[in-house]
Amino acid sequence: MATVKNLLNTKGNDVWTVPITATVKETLKLLAEKNIGAVLVLEDKKIVGIFSERDYARHAAQEESMLLDVLVSGLMTRSIYYVGPQQTVDECMALMTSKHIRHLPVLDAEQKLVGLISIGDVVRQLLEEKETTIQGLENYILGREYSG
Amino acid sequence: MATVKDLLQGKFTQVWYVTPTSTMRDALKLMAEQKIGAVLVVEAGKIVGIFSERDLARQALEENIDMNTPIGEVMIRAVYYVTPEQSVESCMALMTVKRFRHLPVIESGKLVGVISIGDVVKQLILEKETTIQSLEEYIWVHMI
Repeated sequence: MATVKNLLNTKGNDVWTVPITATVKETLKLLAEKNIGAVLVLEDKKIVGIFSERDYARHAAQEESMLLDVLVSGLMTRSIYYVGPQQTVDECMALMTSKHIRHLPVLDAEQKLVGLISIGDVVRQLLEEKETTIQGLENYILGREYSG
Repeated sequence: MATVKDLLQGKFTQVWYVTPTSTMRDALKLMAEQKIGAVLVVEAGKIVGIFSERDLARQALEENIDMNTPIGEVMIRAVYYVTPEQSVESCMALMTVKRFRHLPVIESGKLVGVISIGDVVKQLILEKETTIQSLEEYIWVHMI
């Protein structure tokens, strides 16, 4: 059963953040640069929010404005679900589905930020597992030696 | 092996769309109202593009883009699609490789729905028989 730790081993531990003083424009630039869909917002090294493409789309629709010079703190989501490295990918899927979210920061036992996973990372992991299972079955049927 | 048809079964089959002359404002309001992350762009009964939250986030940084900009100027024109008989796994592969979160479903040349990465994950959970309802009982649901 794959864990969050396995996901991070594949994707890496980079977590992109912006300070609470960042504007929407600066934040969107970071999202574009890193080709990601969400960033954490920090104040004095503490996580105070998460800002995603969805937050932007919903606020822009409501305000009928591009909101580029607005502070990201005005649009970010303040209640943030997170997971620990030992949790399973299944638990992540259930949480993402239940709360209708696409990103989960990963905090270790000391509450230290060690990564951020997305629904895309989860799907990629599951895809890899399916291929491994299929390959493993093929090897078994053809009598190839299992060297895992 | 679950197919795209299985994914559509659990969904509302209304497909929301705008036209190339609809404004960004129109598209975003529709997406917010219907709680969706992407909208198809249709002209004379044909799909001519797709516009997503990601496209908004990237286009917002371009010059001269505002809420009055016609969707035809900011939409993505190359639209990948799937058919109802395709496996959910093939959708996962397409979404992963192309970094898409939405795929229109075409059957005999007709648009019959749009599936999202969220629909795929929901299906995968159902297959694993994980109960979402009992999630609230888990002590490990952490929040900041």
